[in-house]
Amino acid sequence: MTRDLDTTAPLAPETAAVPATRRRGFGRLAVIFAIAGPGLVAANAGNDAAGIATYASAGSQFTYGTLFFMVLVTIALVMVQEMAVRLGAHTGKGLGALIREQFSLRLTALAVFCLLLANTGLVVSEFAGIGAAFELLGVPKWAVIPPAAILLWSLVLFGSYRWAERIFLIMSLAFFAYPIAMILGHPQWGEVGKHLLVPHMEPSKDFILLAVALIGTTVSPYMQFYAAAGVVDRGAKPEDYRLIRLDAVLGAVFACIISLTIIIATAAVIGGTGPLNSAAQAAEALKPVAGQNAELLFALGLIGASALAGAVVPLSASYAIGEAAGVERSVSRSFRDAPLFLGLFTAQIVLGAVVAMTPVDVIQLLIGTQVLQGLISPIVLVYLLVLTNRRALLGTAANGPRYRIAATAVVVGVACMSTILLVQTVLGWFGLG
Amino acid sequence: MATNTLLMSTTARLRGRRVQLERRATASKTVRTSLVSLAGLIGGPVTNQAGEEVGRVVDVVARLYGAEPYPPVTGLVVRVGRRHAFLPADTLEKVHAGRVALRSARLDLREYERRPGEVLLARDVLDHQLVDVDGVQVTRAADLYLAPLADRIVLVGVDVSLPTLLRRLGPRRRQVRPTPERVLDWQAMAPFAEHATDGPAQVQLRASRGALHRLRPADLADLLEDLGRAERQQLLHMLEPAAAADALEEMEPAELENLLREAEPAHAARLVEEMEPDEAVDALRDLHDDEREHLLERMPAARAGHLRRLLAYPEDTAGGAMTTLLVTARGEQSVAEVRAVLAAQAEHRTEIDAIAVVDDDGRLVTDIALFDLAVAEDATRVADLTGWLAQFGPPVTVRPGTRLSEAAAQLVAARVSSLLVVDDQDRPVGRILADDVLDTLLPERGRLHFRRFLQ
Repeated sequence: MTRDLDTTAPLAPETAAVPATRRRGFGRLAVIFAIAGPGLVAANAGNDAAGIATYASAGSQFTYGTLFFMVLVTIALVMVQEMAVRLGAHTGKGLGALIREQFSLRLTALAVFCLLLANTGLVVSEFAGIGAAFELLGVPKWAVIPPAAILLWSLVLFGSYRWAERIFLIMSLAFFAYPIAMILGHPQWGEVGKHLLVPHMEPSKDFILLAVALIGTTVSPYMQFYAAAGVVDRGAKPEDYRLIRLDAVLGAVFACIISLTIIIATAAVIGGTGPLNSAAQAAEALKPVAGQNAELLFALGLIGASALAGAVVPLSASYAIGEAAGVERSVSRSFRDAPLFLGLFTAQIVLGAVVAMTPVDVIQLLIGTQVLQGLISPIVLVYLLVLTNRRALLGTAANGPRYRIAATAVVVGVACMSTILLVQTVLGWFGLG
Repeated sequence: MATNTLLMSTTARLRGRRVQLERRATASKTVRTSLVSLAGLIGGPVTNQAGEEVGRVVDVVARLYGAEPYPPVTGLVVRVGRRHAFLPADTLEKVHAGRVALRSARLDLREYERRPGEVLLARDVLDHQLVDVDGVQVTRAADLYLAPLADRIVLVGVDVSLPTLLRRLGPRRRQVRPTPERVLDWQAMAPFAEHATDGPAQVQLRASRGALHRLRPADLADLLEDLGRAERQQLLHMLEPAAAADALEEMEPAELENLLREAEPAHAARLVEEMEPDEAVDALRDLHDDEREHLLERMPAARAGHLRRLLAYPEDTAGGAMTTLLVTARGEQSVAEVRAVLAAQAEHRTEIDAIAVVDDDGRLVTDIALFDLAVAEDATRVADLTGWLAQFGPPVTVRPGTRLSEAAAQLVAARVSSLLVVDDQDRPVGRILADDVLDTLLPERGRLHFRRFLQ
């Protein structure tokens, strides 16, 4: 019933693992397509509602100012995803299981708690995204979010989710209008090139907040768990690792290129107008492509991407936690057999929908959830780093000395941004910011 | 909240299970009152006769793969100052909840060296996967329980419940308190630990391995699908190849594909060789060309040649789905003789549905269903049965190239549960069973396996 899903919609860059193993006589072309294909699809889903809001806000607030930072984030994403798939390929275990086996129970509990917190935040943002999209179409969000939550929940548990998944995926293809919008929007290419290459940071609080949100939306904690699980599920062995790595790297780079086009396209149209205020404003970036229908196109893409991630994100968190608790395998359709798995899944959807209904500014809520991700992601990255450094676990595939320094630098860098933001926020409470 | 109901249902299920464990160590009252939680013991003080603390418990060493039904504790790894030392079991006076008392004041500091069959319980077993043979599930050990049995300390039970995990998260005071009502007997467990230790351990079959063989193939298949990579290869090695092959036949195709890919080619080839030909062909079809060749090369030539011939038929044709296991009979044989032939084929009983009667050239005469054979007299000759069956017309047959959908229609029209596949000369080459046709017609079945949601 669920086996056919593997042809559709990988949600993160790396699920395309072992592309060449799927080759059956189609020759070289098929190999290239198999490698590029899933990465292409993954780019959509990585760019979900919160992602779009964050990138669009970066473009409107700082024009091209965040581009160099995004290049750094791309490097970080490539390294992090590579580490996750390496763990999956060499141990044949998911990250949740590895953390339980390699760390103390209390540290496992911390990791699980962080993942759950970050993912619930993401689920909130997915439902907020659905709400925002329908508001663009003139339907109030309180009328949409509860049915959407029930629909998603029951599609996953009872329905044929794979059909729904395909529909959501096609809808989310609307965001492929961004690269075209970028070109039609005539950005100042000289400026774009300069900002991509010349380091540029602003010490302002707004910039750091947005930078953390960019980290959070790009290097989401759930993606690493997801990446490792995807590789394990394909039965990838250490020998397949080169292909897996190639796919992880290509997927990550491609996802980031799409993110860059969103920033540039938004910057070209509404750059410098300050923080993003509404989804309608974000939709303006698509005007060079769709003209009057920009809002419709934007809404369509937003619904697709949000619904897609809205099911997979809580599922992957529930699975990772089940794995850590040791009940991963009793996953079945009935609450009696899989209370932990289904309970967590349901709780996340309910909580996500309820928080998304609160009458706060949608864009701020979306960016807020990504800031939360950004704050949590260094904690999860530390686990990843410690695991990949362990020779007892990975043998010769453990991080070499040079890679270890580079990976540590990435984690420390991410942690620094989060810490600065935390300190600034706390100081702000005391009126010192 | 949901957590509450979830904790309750787990304990309720485990409580239901305890009923069966009567004759086991954990069922005895003395053992249950003296249970010591391993999780609570780790980090606890080690005191000498005078009651002074000399060190802290780091790990407990047990001989997991010995002949004993309950693994005896062979010693402790203790941290003394900054060193790790090994204390043999005979130096221990008593193991209390959360602390250890030594027999002598003298402490002989030796480095711990792993001996064959031994594992470090906290490092290699606690928090790792186990197969619970009674409950037919893969779980993780939330806690292990030690108890004095005769003059030794043995590992008697394991706790896999969620409340125990929460207990371990709590303060130390609560950690040492055992919860015997949730303990599962160690004899019902199949642990995997060799991979986590250095060097290969000498594995011996224990009581629980025997229990593994009692599991139904479908249950074993579920367990195999649920285990991690290293663990499932270990489980496969614990089973007899024939039993393992039966389980493989029940696995989801995608999982089976992964499993064969992970296994060492020699072992994988042995397993595929043991599978029924039609299932083996299905499994081989899912692999790529070079992997398939690796396996076929390692099989006996006759078997490999046979499988290659079957592989040549396209997947959605009668030839691709048929089993080549045929029981044939000649007209001059008696029914009793044919029954004897059938009895010898008992291990293939799910694959045999009827007996093909052939003439001297090997051409098909008729197909006798097992029912007709069962009601016939012992002395009746097959030719007589054939003559009687002739009134119903010739048997319905298909060609290897017939499409499966076509074969399904024929099967329904003929109101039989299997069809013979014959070649150009009308010689039977195989048989399509109704369940093979069903497999291809029905939508995907199987449990809601989350991992597959991801792709």
